Amino acid sequence: MAFLEKINSVLNKILMGIAGLFLVAMIVMTCANIFLRLTWVPLSGTFELMGYFGAVAMAFALGFTQMHRGHVAVDIVVSRFSKRTRRTLNGVNYFVCMVFFALAAWQITCYGLTLLGTGEVTETLRIVYYPFTFAVALGCGVLSLVFLTDFLRSVLRVKAGGK
Amino acid sequence: MSLTLVAILGIIALFVALFFLGMPVGFAMAIVGFCGFGYVVSFKAAVNMVGTDLWSTFSRYGLTVIPLFIFMGYIAFHSGIAEKLYNAAYKWFGHWRGGLAIATIGADELFAAICGSNTATAATMGTVALPQMKKYNYDTRLSSGTVVTGGTLGTVMPPSVVLIIIGLQTEQSIIKLFLGGILPAILLGSLFVLTIVVLCRIYPNLGPAGPKTSFKEKLKSLTGVVEALVIFVLVIGGLYAGIFTPTEAGAVGVFFTLLVTVTTRRLSWNGLLRSMTDTLKISCMVFVLVAGAIIFGRFLARTRLPFMVADFVVGLPVSPFIILAFVLLVYLIGGCFIDSLGFLVLTIPIFFPLGKALGFDPIWYAILLTMVTTMGAITPPVGVNIYVVKALAPEIPLGTIFGSVSYFLLACVLCIVILIIFPEIVLLIPSLVH
Repeated sequence: MAFLEKINSVLNKILMGIAGLFLVAMIVMTCANIFLRLTWVPLSGTFELMGYFGAVAMAFALGFTQMHRGHVAVDIVVSRFSKRTRRTLNGVNYFVCMVFFALAAWQITCYGLTLLGTGEVTETLRIVYYPFTFAVALGCGVLSLVFLTDFLRSVLRVKAGGK
Repeated sequence: MSLTLVAILGIIALFVALFFLGMPVGFAMAIVGFCGFGYVVSFKAAVNMVGTDLWSTFSRYGLTVIPLFIFMGYIAFHSGIAEKLYNAAYKWFGHWRGGLAIATIGADELFAAICGSNTATAATMGTVALPQMKKYNYDTRLSSGTVVTGGTLGTVMPPSVVLIIIGLQTEQSIIKLFLGGILPAILLGSLFVLTIVVLCRIYPNLGPAGPKTSFKEKLKSLTGVVEALVIFVLVIGGLYAGIFTPTEAGAVGVFFTLLVTVTTRRLSWNGLLRSMTDTLKISCMVFVLVAGAIIFGRFLARTRLPFMVADFVVGLPVSPFIILAFVLLVYLIGGCFIDSLGFLVLTIPIFFPLGKALGFDPIWYAILLTMVTTMGAITPPVGVNIYVVKALAPEIPLGTIFGSVSYFLLACVLCIVILIIFPEIVLLIPSLVH
């Protein structure tokens, strides 16, 4: 369990670092595009790259945000239940989310593989964009791993009688 | 099973997941939407839809505006721009009875012009204003209430994350929504000030007058306001003039806020890293909400429930304004129990088509929904701003904060009524854009 938690922690910190770099790249690219557009010619491909960079930045932040309970939840009813009930319900919650995001990761990977197979490129820059879909799939996969860790922790705690 | 029944069961399942499993709103919408779509169409189609929708939402150019404006707000939050704004407002209004509270609202209004989040606005002004008001013996009922409610201006005054999300979800112009929010934000701030003035006239001990300052000091303090105003004018002016798209305006806002805070040495490396982490976390939460709402919206659209509700309500023999009052009441009550942004994203697929069917102007309707959703951030038991202030001033009892907010809720309601009677307040500036 500790090993899984360590992997989660390190992996999500690395992904957050990369997400931060993509966020900075988005700002630099957009400002450069405005400057060049006003003074010379627009930076071609900004529109499509912004979307892809944004996708990587957000997907790589998914696991970290969940680890820090950053997603909006309603605990007004759940907080009134006993600890054991709460942990059991949390376990169900984590399990369902884990399955859902594993499914999403798999499906986005399939989509990426299709793009790789057909050699599809972007409209303006004519570059392949399947690596970005794999990045989003990785983000969903890591989120699923975070949910797996949360689920196992809940199960162990419920088994241990809430200690 | 009829499609309507499936849709109703889906909504019930969503509320069970939200309230009894404590599942985050975005995930709950996505999962229930996926299951519902799978039941109505097929499992294979639902799996395909989830993959496609997640990818297309995350890679959507329009959504990249969100992290940029959030980043701009967090840089301002971590850099101490708010202190200068507060200081200027304090120099001008501090010597009045309740003047520090008025200064807080004034600084809130200015800070909201560069920060699109109500919690960030409340946290920033709480850090700056609460100790000052304590120093000058302000009653905690006034000080806490002012900070909690002043934060709501961050949602209405552009750039606002809530307005961006409404714009993206309903395909309305973000520029027009931003411009439509300016006058209502000023009106709301003015009504908050009026509330403070009236309260301090009835109960003078709530906010004793502070020391007087010379005119020279007043003028000197304005230098602190210039930076924020320049950033606001650049961002909103650039949008208004058609020089930037909203995403570009966000990037320019980040660039200039960084430039100002780095050159004045107010932003540390740690502050920058914290701004970036907070931005990624909040933006990711918003992206998940939007993706969840899209998936849930697809399921609802398949069942045709939103259109049936719209048709049914439009056919009712009552005034559209009675229906509007009902919708606003639903938002007010919903906002009390579910995070205001989450509730908005959750309900827009149903209530926005309804507003359109009733013939309401979409910009005016969106601003009204934003205003009433904002009230959810200051009403118990889920009012997020209340907990922000409680965290900043643990010595103030939660009951005192709840009580203090009630005075300002009247101002919010009055503002909404004025906007309903005079829609021109919202529509005047957007009508100047072609």
